[in-house]
Amino acid sequence: MISERLKKIILLELKLDNFDLEDTTQAYQVPGWDSLNHVSILSKIEKAYGVRFKSVEVLRLKNLGDLQDLVNKKIEGHNRG
Amino acid sequence: MVDKLYNSHMIANNHLLLWDCWEYYAKNFPKRQAIIHWDIVGKPFTWTYRGLIEEALSIADSLMRQGVKTGDVCALIFRHNKYFSPSYMAVAAIGAIPAILAYPNPRLHPDKFRDGLSGMAQKSGLDWIMTEKELEPVIKPLVLGRKGSIKGILLPLEWITGRKFVKPRYETIRKSRDKINSNSPFLLQHSSGTTGLQKAVVLSHNSVLEHIKRYRQAIELSENDRIVNWLPLYHDMGLIAAFHMPLACGIPSIQIDPFQWVCAPVILLQAISQKNATLTWLPNFAYNFMADRIREEEMENISLLSMRMFINCSEVVRSESHKKFLNRFRKYGVKKESLAACYALAETTFAVTQTKPGAVVASFTVDSDCLAKGIVRPVKKAQSSKVCISSGRPISGCSIKIVNEKIAELPENRVGTVAIKSASLFNGYRNNPKKTKQVFKNGWYISGDLGFCHNGEYFILGRKDDVIIVAGSNIFPEDIENAINKVKGVIPGRVAAFGVENLTTGTQGVCVVAETCCVGKKDKNILALAIKQAAMNIDVTISMVHLVPPRWLIKSSSGKISRKVNKERILAQIVTQGNK
Repeated sequence: MISERLKKIILLELKLDNFDLEDTTQAYQVPGWDSLNHVSILSKIEKAYGVRFKSVEVLRLKNLGDLQDLVNKKIEGHNRG
Repeated sequence: MVDKLYNSHMIANNHLLLWDCWEYYAKNFPKRQAIIHWDIVGKPFTWTYRGLIEEALSIADSLMRQGVKTGDVCALIFRHNKYFSPSYMAVAAIGAIPAILAYPNPRLHPDKFRDGLSGMAQKSGLDWIMTEKELEPVIKPLVLGRKGSIKGILLPLEWITGRKFVKPRYETIRKSRDKINSNSPFLLQHSSGTTGLQKAVVLSHNSVLEHIKRYRQAIELSENDRIVNWLPLYHDMGLIAAFHMPLACGIPSIQIDPFQWVCAPVILLQAISQKNATLTWLPNFAYNFMADRIREEEMENISLLSMRMFINCSEVVRSESHKKFLNRFRKYGVKKESLAACYALAETTFAVTQTKPGAVVASFTVDSDCLAKGIVRPVKKAQSSKVCISSGRPISGCSIKIVNEKIAELPENRVGTVAIKSASLFNGYRNNPKKTKQVFKNGWYISGDLGFCHNGEYFILGRKDDVIIVAGSNIFPEDIENAINKVKGVIPGRVAAFGVENLTTGTQGVCVVAETCCVGKKDKNILALAIKQAAMNIDVTISMVHLVPPRWLIKSSSGKISRKVNKERILAQIVTQGNK
């Protein structure tokens, strides 16, 4: 499930007051989230969580559920490391 | 080697087809690398000339068995796939005409995609759609409908998977191709747009080969060059400069998935470094995008020293973008003199002007106020200024003049419309004699771009009309306005869409001003979101929505809403509010 924190980061970056973001939501369904600002949104998420995504990891993301899983995995790895 | 081949084989032969060039390399240099299909998620794949031609002939045979004939127009709608290139070449192998169309972005509503394709099929006379299985259900209604011209959907990727080798009918394929000559249409290119405003540019074999011959001289192309490309091939810059030119000159090209590049822009630099690439073409926004988005740790082991030229083209060349890119990547080998520029149009096959290889691009700092009045003057102290970047001098076979409204030539340092004569000029817009007639005046093609000449070099300032250019793609404001007019809460017919320069991104953003009777903040927020979503359905991202009260928008003397005047008005209002 998408955390409130992740939702907030995305909505803030896209200047959206409110928009329903779910696990199955894909980037193209979110107003303002296009290919040009995709990298910028991911950078904001990286910065907020103090993690780094690899290019291949980013390219494999299909929806917001995948993005949340990737963030969780990174935080877990970060905490273990 | 490039020169030798051209002199001995190509220039001497006036009856060449593109296929003859490809076949020449397949016969004489069968193992030479032709196309490196770059893929960082899947596996990269290298096509040799022989491999490419053999695969193309095999697909060509299947196309003929399906009923494709000489002169048929085949639209190709594919994502990045290693079999795209031989599929495209297969169409040319039988003397049919390929037209590459963009694979629909998932945000584009299927009905809108179908409508656009249907309009295009009728206007351009598309006979066949070659695509992926996934898109078949979306396109099928067009084929089943009685009105359309489309004869069928072809799925070449399905034929290739699990296929048993059958020797292609070489003679039958050759006979089909022999029905055309070098003046026959080779390809169709469509301008951007989503709702039937596209114009189909027809280019003959001769135009494309003539252009390649002249442009390779302008960029001093040699056998040591390697071209790397992330641009989509439905764009003339990707198709002509980065696909056809290397393929016809025996030079390898590295083709990157545009989707992968935009998600991970470092891929382009990795490909340059790993393959010692020397040339690439980029729209202006890409310079900002890479400088801003590529992180330092991603640059490990990357060298850009091999690059002769990063050629800025298809948007206005911005000084800030070049500076930003140079400052960011200088330590990895980018040189000031490798930042080149070019002015190009699909109607002239591709390039019209090019800056000199190895030389620093000329820049000219002018007085902005005078420039707005059409006069180019160097800036004096304490004046508002604008740095203009040269797109170079005309390439061989091209002539340019800057003209006024009456198509009379203007002297140097006067702003006007760019008019062009070219040895590789298009044959007209397909099935659109009216539009073709409009753009030709006394043998000159009137481009619709604004620019000026200074010391023999041409500086391009932007579009004369209202076309919005976002990241190298043309967007017609009419498309956006039509979509937004249907949004509940917007007063129909009271919308203006235009492009606004964004120095951070190095391209334009789409701004919309719409009249509404809504007054409450909550209602306005809901309406603004609905407007953004309506634009999403036609695959347009809106950067700014401004909701204004009824009768706010100003009409021109012809009674139409003036985009220019309303743009100035809303921008002035934003500045005033910002200053308060």
